[in-house]
Amino acid sequence: MIAYIRKNITLLIILSVLAGLLAAASKGMESKDFVITLLRGLSVGSLTFLVASGFSIIFGLLDVLNLAHGTLFMIGAYIGWTVYVRPDTFVDMIAPISLILSGFLLKDLWSVLSNRSLFTGRMKNFLSWVGILVSALILISVLRNYPIAYWSHDNYAESPVAISYLASQGQYILPLPTVFESISPLLAFIGLIAGGLLLAFSLSLFGSAKQAATLRLTWRSFIGFAISVLVGICFFILNNALTTFLVTINTNWLFLIAVIVAVASGVGLGALMETFLIRPLYIRPIYQLMLTLGLSAIGIEIVRAVWGRSEFAMPRPEIFAGVGEGCPATSLADWWQHHCSTMMLLGGRIRIFNEIVVPLIGVVVLVTVWMLLQRSRLGMIIRAGVQDREMVEALGINVRRVFTQVFSLGVGLAALGGVLAAPSVGLSNVMGDSFMINALIALAIGGLTSYPGAALSSLLVGLLQQFIIKYGQIGIPIPFTEIIFKPTPPIVPASTILLMVIVLLILPNGLLGKKE
Amino acid sequence: MDYILDVQDIHTFIGQYHILQGVNVRVPKGSITALMGRNGAGKTTTLKSILGLTPSRLGKIIFEGREIQQMRSFDIASMGIGFVPEHRAIFRDLSVEENLKIAERKKGDFISKQDFIFTLFPDLKRLIKLSGKNLSGGQQQMLAIARALVADNRLLLIDEPSEGLAPVLIEQLIKAIQQLSAESTVVLVEQNFLVASQLAEYYIIIEEGRSVKEGKVLDLVNDKATIHRYLGAA
Repeated sequence: MIAYIRKNITLLIILSVLAGLLAAASKGMESKDFVITLLRGLSVGSLTFLVASGFSIIFGLLDVLNLAHGTLFMIGAYIGWTVYVRPDTFVDMIAPISLILSGFLLKDLWSVLSNRSLFTGRMKNFLSWVGILVSALILISVLRNYPIAYWSHDNYAESPVAISYLASQGQYILPLPTVFESISPLLAFIGLIAGGLLLAFSLSLFGSAKQAATLRLTWRSFIGFAISVLVGICFFILNNALTTFLVTINTNWLFLIAVIVAVASGVGLGALMETFLIRPLYIRPIYQLMLTLGLSAIGIEIVRAVWGRSEFAMPRPEIFAGVGEGCPATSLADWWQHHCSTMMLLGGRIRIFNEIVVPLIGVVVLVTVWMLLQRSRLGMIIRAGVQDREMVEALGINVRRVFTQVFSLGVGLAALGGVLAAPSVGLSNVMGDSFMINALIALAIGGLTSYPGAALSSLLVGLLQQFIIKYGQIGIPIPFTEIIFKPTPPIVPASTILLMVIVLLILPNGLLGKKE
Repeated sequence: MDYILDVQDIHTFIGQYHILQGVNVRVPKGSITALMGRNGAGKTTTLKSILGLTPSRLGKIIFEGREIQQMRSFDIASMGIGFVPEHRAIFRDLSVEENLKIAERKKGDFISKQDFIFTLFPDLKRLIKLSGKNLSGGQQQMLAIARALVADNRLLLIDEPSEGLAPVLIEQLIKAIQQLSAESTVVLVEQNFLVASQLAEYYIIIEEGRSVKEGKVLDLVNDKATIHRYLGAA
């Protein structure tokens, strides 16, 4: 115990200074303001943590600085919004996506084929580009004619802004289901599957020429493909029934589905991104940095093209949206009865979703991922791999596969953050940026690859920002003078950077970082 | 003779440096073979090339009758090769138990091998909950070897086991390696000629990236000229 204190004396002093500051902050304001600010800080801290933890796990094991993390956070939010507000679009998209993805599930077959193919070197490279081009042409020409219900961001009445507003009023006015007109369903199916197969094969030709020891094709190599095609066909047949079902079910369930789909999309995007884009660049860290930066810009542009530039809000699910009689709730039981959006706590009004649910989910994720890291075999491999990748591989463990899993996990966490942030901060093309910057600052404060450090410092950053914002309203009386200092909005981001500078000057490895 | 490992004229580059320029290593099944030579001769690179960690660009590596030089490291290791690297490479943040369990290739490997491991290294049983960073150098070395024994490995590649250890510990280590060699074949990189000569049956001398001389250790002990020329020891 004493040894521990002596070893971490600087850390403990910093933490107690911060706790002291928090206590001092509580003196300067009414207790209701203090509670609200504290909860808002926890909320922002939780969302920051969801970005920071994924970023830090990826950086720790893979040494990849994923600068696209903020964009993936934003994409998670937009995907969640689509599922929640336009279930018809979401349902229309399942069939084509699972048909295209089916090709990628034949990766065993592709690696066998690309090892056995007669072409080598330049010819192989050339062929893969040709394949990618041809498959892109096929996919684009099919998808252009494939009926997908879609909004229009030029026409205000059909724009996401208007749809969001109507949905928040409980009105789901969806256009008539789209039908196949310019292309026959059979042709579209064949086109999508063929395009997916060709694309996956062409991409696999880029892969390294190393062969696996025991790569034999069994029925297992084909089962994923078969399931994916079947899923595509089933969703195609059940399309209208499913849309009707999603529109009529309770919005609480719909929100849950939206969260799950957003996280699953994040996981899938992460897996694709790691396998096809990051993997060839592990030996070139600078290129990797450029790649993720570029992907981030591309992601933002795609979101602009699909959802438009304007900001809009994601309606809160029913259970957090009540405003009428009996609201604001006086206790959690009262909230459960009336489904109020707000609750009175110590005389202050807090928003249930933003200030209670989001921090709670943050805690759940914190504990779950911590357990995963500490208790599971995957976690053991991750912890070992952070320290010595080569040795883990020398034990006969496929570290590359673990890399993909970790990358997917990180992106999935970012997408979760995005979809949770959507109802509280709203959707915009740049919503990822501020959280990304917060997360980077938090990671620098907490120690880059330390998971508990990421949690602690995300919280610090969230709290600091919210308290500065609050004091911007009520002002800080400077002792022994009559000046009342009101922090202006630009001080909010500056304050976190100042905190980072101070912490790093005292503890160069961050609060909980390891000494190199 | 039945060779478990047959390395034929491999060439390995690290960056633009031509590190191995034709190394041949033949390891008879059930033996202990020592790779000897001066610092920087390419002994460690030879071990890493066998495992594919620094893949060889030319030449063949045959393990139990299969060519492995084109395979990925983890596939090579999974075929039954254990690696005890220089400086031990213990996972510092994992407990001793986790350090052993991570080497499992199928569930229950550790349970079935633990009796064997704890008879070789009784200390480890006592330290099982301790974190890797709290072990002494000797304990880390024991753990590194034990880790290579958890999975069913027919070949062990052990790099500089005696480096930085006190003489008493070296004695223990020699006994342990002798005992475990009853179960698997061992390729040993060893600078300490006394240790190598006590353990190994065969030797291969590597000099400037080439294997230059091989034979039985018993013959080498009396061959003062060779020892002086290649190993620099009297």
